[in-house]
Parts: sequence; C-alpha cells; structure tokens
Amino acid sequence: MDERLEKALDFSNFMVTLHNQLRVFKEQYYQNLICYYSGGQFTVTQELITFCNMMSTRGYKEIILIDDNENPIEIEKLEDFLTQILDIYFRASNSYLNDYNKIKKERSVKNLVDL
Amino acid sequence: MNTSKGIVLFARNNEKIDYLKQAYFLAKKAKILLNLPTTVVTDSKLYLIEKYPDAEEVFDNIISVVWKDNNQHEQTVLSKNEDHSLKTYRDGTLSKSKLKFKNRLRSSVYDITPYYETLVLDTDILLLDNIYSFCFDQCDDFLIYDSSYDLANFRKTSEFVFVSDAGIKFYWATVVFFRKTHINKIFFDLLQHIEDNWYHYKSIFQINQSYFRNDYAFSIAIHIMNGYNQGSFAKSMPGKLYHTTDKDICWDIENDRIVFLLEKEKYVGEYTALSWKGTSIHIMNKFSYNRCIDKVIYNV
Repeated sequence: MDERLEKALDFSNFMVTLHNQLRVFKEQYYQNLICYYSGGQFTVTQELITFCNMMSTRGYKEIILIDDNENPIEIEKLEDFLTQILDIYFRASNSYLNDYNKIKKERSVKNLVDL
Repeated sequence: MNTSKGIVLFARNNEKIDYLKQAYFLAKKAKILLNLPTTVVTDSKLYLIEKYPDAEEVFDNIISVVWKDNNQHEQTVLSKNEDHSLKTYRDGTLSKSKLKFKNRLRSSVYDITPYYETLVLDTDILLLDNIYSFCFDQCDDFLIYDSSYDLANFRKTSEFVFVSDAGIKFYWATVVFFRKTHINKIFFDLLQHIEDNWYHYKSIFQINQSYFRNDYAFSIAIHIMNGYNQGSFAKSMPGKLYHTTDKDICWDIENDRIVFLLEKEKYVGEYTALSWKGTSIHIMNKFSYNRCIDKVIYNV
C-alpha cells in the first residue's frame, strides 16, 4: 500500500476511536449528573442549581420540584439539596475534564483505550 | 410488613453459554456494589455447586427449576413446559451459532422471589456502579427502562423503540424493579397469561420474531395495564441503560474499566476500540463476556 495512504488510514482509525471515546465520556458525564433525593431523580443542570440557589437566597427552606419521572417531590431541606447538587455537578464536571484532558494528549489508539 | 430486598437472576445454560458463570460473577459484584443478596433460579443447581463450591455463600437462595429435556434428580419447586426456541447468538460480526433460548419463567418472578422489593437483572449485566440501589429509595412500585443507549451509536434502533413498525412502545425486561403489591400481582399474572398464549399475542401485536422474548411480553403487558395506551403504570429505572450488542466484542475487564471492540460501520469484521469506565452496562455478546469473566471471576 502507498505509504501516504497507509498513514492517512492509520490517522483515520485513530480519529474514529477518539470520536467514540469523547462521545461516551459525554454520555457518562450526563449519567454522573443524576441526583437521587427524597425518592426523586433529578438531572443536575445549571438551571436547577440557579433556581434552587435563588429560592434559597429568597429565604425558602423547602420547595416542591418535579423530578425526571415527572413526579412532584417535596424537598424538605433546600439547603441540603443545593449542597448535594453542587457537589454532584462539580464531581461530574471534574471527572469529565480529567478524562478529556488525558485523551486530548494521546496520539495512538492503544493509549486512547488504556486510559 | 416484609421489607426484605434483593436481586433475582434467571440462569439456564444452553449448549455453549454458561449463564451461571455470569450469575455467579454478578452476585459477587452485587454484594459489593449494592450490598444486596441474590437469588438465582436455575435448572443446573448441581453444576453450579460443583463448579463454584462457595455458590451457596455467594447466593442467598438457589432455586431449582426443571428443564424438560434434562433428566435431573434435583428438588424442584417449579415446573413448566416450554417450547425450546432457537436463537442466533453472535460472537462479533463474523461468528454466529443457533442455540437454545431458555428465557421462559421470568413471568413467574412475582411468585418465585423471596423478597418484598425485587430487582430482576439479566445475567449479562455488568455492574460497575450502585445506580440500581436507588430503586429501593423511591416510591414507584414498578420500574423498567423504555430505552437503551447503544455504545456503537450508528446502528438502527427502531426495533428497541416500538415492538413493530405499527406496534406499541418497547420496554427492556433486562432490568426490572418491583414491589409485591396487589397491582403488580395483576401485572405478573397477566404476563403469565401472555406467555401462555404467546402465539395469539404475537399475532395481535404484529411481532415478527419467531421466538418468545420477555421484552415483548413485558411491553404488551404494560400496554394493557395502561388501558391499551401509553400511560404511567411503569416508571423509568434510575439513569440510563447502556448496551453493546452481540456484534461487538467484550475484550477486557479490569476493575471498573472495560474495553470493547465495537462493530465498525460498513466494514464487516473490523472493530473500533472503546474504553468504558464506572457505569453499569448490558453486554449482549455472551461468548466474549464469559471469556472476560474467566480472567477476573476469582478477583472480585
């Protein structure tokens, strides 16, 4: 095979693997953003954090939220819930960033899957 | 009130696939990650105990069932006539075999389970996190996934959205959580009725597959429980269900990390490597999964 084509195909294979790996990192990031609280399931979003923070700042101690399964869930300790969702947000984001930074530096298929 | 909770697995080996190995591995992982006891329902109790001498410690209960081809002299708590369908099992894109598909009995899980709160898992689920423990902390009595994410991400998944082109919504019987309630008793009785009259329901709901499949039976039963409509009888399991098909290869398992070779789009026999970490996953290629389990089964 022409060496030029061989090199291009190697790179092409690497790019497919890299693309797949980045895709599953993002998937796992969203899975890691899920918070279970008072029997409800909440995907932590910036909107949820902002809303809870705003309600807390306004002095509310408890609120009702609709969870991912569309069940109304009573959050009896808003401050505690806010701490938990912030913790989940930071942990998931840090893990995603670490994985992303590691993969960004790699230049071979073997190293991509050995991470 | 009985508040016991645990996992129930159905593991019935065929000519080539050792489901008991997967069940044994899964029960060990479940004890560590979910802190839950596991009951296994099998037609090969003697084989299980012979192959894994600590099986009676690993499993909370081992329940024997009769597989009518076998001439076993084991104590039997269940007996059922089955038609032994054949199913194509692949090991990557290039290798396949037609083997017996012993998937009946799941509809009896309501009567079989010794637990008030039961998590039913396929044995080919690889537990890598504790996500399923949240089932026990929420208020809905019946949970099941209505979708699953294919790691290869290019294959057509319409068969996992509806049971047929003009059919009803598809549910995955791979992971199911339920409590012993009056309503759930009605559901599982209905499920048994559907199983007993499978050819009728298969025809009514325009299902083309030749063999009985639990996913379809659950989908039909949920549809009926919802008043022949989409509704809220079944709620979603925590998080997402992820899967690789039997055209992908499970290459290596090391702690909470697993390497797959995913089928490559448009290149039969070629694969793309993928590393997966810390999230439970449904691995449909039983051959390659069993090969990987062999390397780590005693290290759990």
